[in-house]
Amino acid sequence: MSAKDMSPNRFELLYGMLLDAIPSSVLLVDEKLHIVSVNRNFLVKSQRGEAMTVGRPLAEVFPTIIMENTDIERRIREVFRTGTPVKGQRMTYRAPGVPIRIYYYSILPIPTNQVMLLMEDVTEQVRLSEEVRRVERHLASVVESASDIVLSTDTEGRILTWNSAAEKLSGLSTQEVRGQYFFQFCGSNQQQTLRKVFLLMKSGNESHTTEFPLVTSSGDSILVSWVFSPMKDDYGQTVGAVVVGRDLAERRKLENQLRQSQKLAALGVMAGGIAHEIRNPLAVCYSAAEFLLMDNISSEFRNECSRKIQAGIQKASAIIENLLRFARPSPDTEMVQVDLNTVIKDTLDLITNQARVQQIRIQLELEQRRPVLVLGVSGLLQQVFMNIFLNGINAMPDGGVLSITEEIFEAEVAVRISDTGMGIEESDLDKIFDPFHTTSPIGKGTGLGLSICYSIAQQHLGSIHVQSSPGKGATLTVRLPLL
Amino acid sequence: MVDDEPDMCWVMECILRSKGYEVVTVLSGEEACYQLANRDFFFVFMDAKLPDMDGLEVVRRAHAARPGIVRVVLVSGYHYHDDPVIRQAINENLICGFLAKPFTHSDLLNALPSS
Repeated sequence: MSAKDMSPNRFELLYGMLLDAIPSSVLLVDEKLHIVSVNRNFLVKSQRGEAMTVGRPLAEVFPTIIMENTDIERRIREVFRTGTPVKGQRMTYRAPGVPIRIYYYSILPIPTNQVMLLMEDVTEQVRLSEEVRRVERHLASVVESASDIVLSTDTEGRILTWNSAAEKLSGLSTQEVRGQYFFQFCGSNQQQTLRKVFLLMKSGNESHTTEFPLVTSSGDSILVSWVFSPMKDDYGQTVGAVVVGRDLAERRKLENQLRQSQKLAALGVMAGGIAHEIRNPLAVCYSAAEFLLMDNISSEFRNECSRKIQAGIQKASAIIENLLRFARPSPDTEMVQVDLNTVIKDTLDLITNQARVQQIRIQLELEQRRPVLVLGVSGLLQQVFMNIFLNGINAMPDGGVLSITEEIFEAEVAVRISDTGMGIEESDLDKIFDPFHTTSPIGKGTGLGLSICYSIAQQHLGSIHVQSSPGKGATLTVRLPLL
Repeated sequence: MVDDEPDMCWVMECILRSKGYEVVTVLSGEEACYQLANRDFFFVFMDAKLPDMDGLEVVRRAHAARPGIVRVVLVSGYHYHDDPVIRQAINENLICGFLAKPFTHSDLLNALPSS
């Protein structure tokens, strides 16, 4: 740089350029409270010319209302007197003809016996933060007004917020639950399920639906249907969870009625097979009894007749017991450890008769080495398989093969049920789980079976999928989390 | 005598043998077809529901193989007397009678032709 470039003049120029470039208003004021200099930003914001501003008293440049409200003259004098700066005061300024602006200002003493008045325009920030507050208030009131339980947790499941519906249903205040683990307020046995759900949410985006009881402050259990959704930050990291719960008391009552009537409908379908299977032992008993009434029969034959009668009665009675077990409403819905293989075999026992009268061969491939343990209500799981088996059987009026294969994965079991029947039209595929959707003739099906299966599977944190093409049979896959 | 239930076969064999009939029992539709195509039988008691085939289907095949020879009574716990399926089978001369399970011994014997 040349010597000329380094002259004091050059610094002044640089200083002026810098002042004009910064997005804040800068004013220098002397002891008489006259304006010594201003930067461009101030002139633009206040819509004043430099000549009308520099050398003028502060009171002439700022509107009276600001002078009075901010008491700025007293503050400046104070800074002159004490040499202590004033920082971060708020000022609302409205130049004639422009919308209101909001400033934060500071008054800084400078060695030239002047003070620097720094004004930063925060109108936009204030507007934004007010907007954020308004949205927050709105969201809070949405959550608070909801009649469903809405709560949020951290990634470990510790409760962060708890809305008024949650307070009302549980009888527990936000203060009582904040920071506590959510599972502490759920029915027993849920800890493991919940841990699994929270683990899944950490890595995945999906919501998880399940049902289990909420324990109230008085110790009662309320059955609640829960939806767990991961809460993500801007980078896609799970930072917590949103849990929405709905009191199921009323819905459960209706569902139970529906399941029960659907079960009875399923019994209707099985009636033919049952009749066949019970009348065979009855016929044997009937004849054997008639033999016993005859004279001159050998004692050996007499014994044989008695044995046939006993065996026949036992056979008929076992069929009836199976039926009763299935037809009876499930007394409770508490989830316990269940061996899925037992459920499947018990269910097959019920439909074997129907399969036989329709010339349907049943192929069963289950995990042999160990029990397949899931958390569930065995009566409900049986209903799922019963419905799917009967659907398969109904799809094969002229006989075929119903195959049931089980595949064990790390965390879940998949049971595939395939028939060799008529298959499902593609247009029907996404409707088959809808309530009242049926392709059966009137009186043959209620259209509720699979929708009930679906809701039962969901309740068990599982799923049901269907694969089919017309004429080539259908495969339904039931997936359930393993214990 | 065709029935997949061994105890049913036992019952009918006992009744028919006591009246001096010679009885051949088979347990499946397939085997019944084979026997009916290769042997002469005075009379056939046929279960309506066999594991591999419908009883009426067996009868149809037997008629097709050797027309007009076999006389069949359908025996079943699955159908009832005025069942449309039964009526139609009688009208088509597929079977000459129907016996519902359970039955009395005289029901069974009455089903046999007197000749």
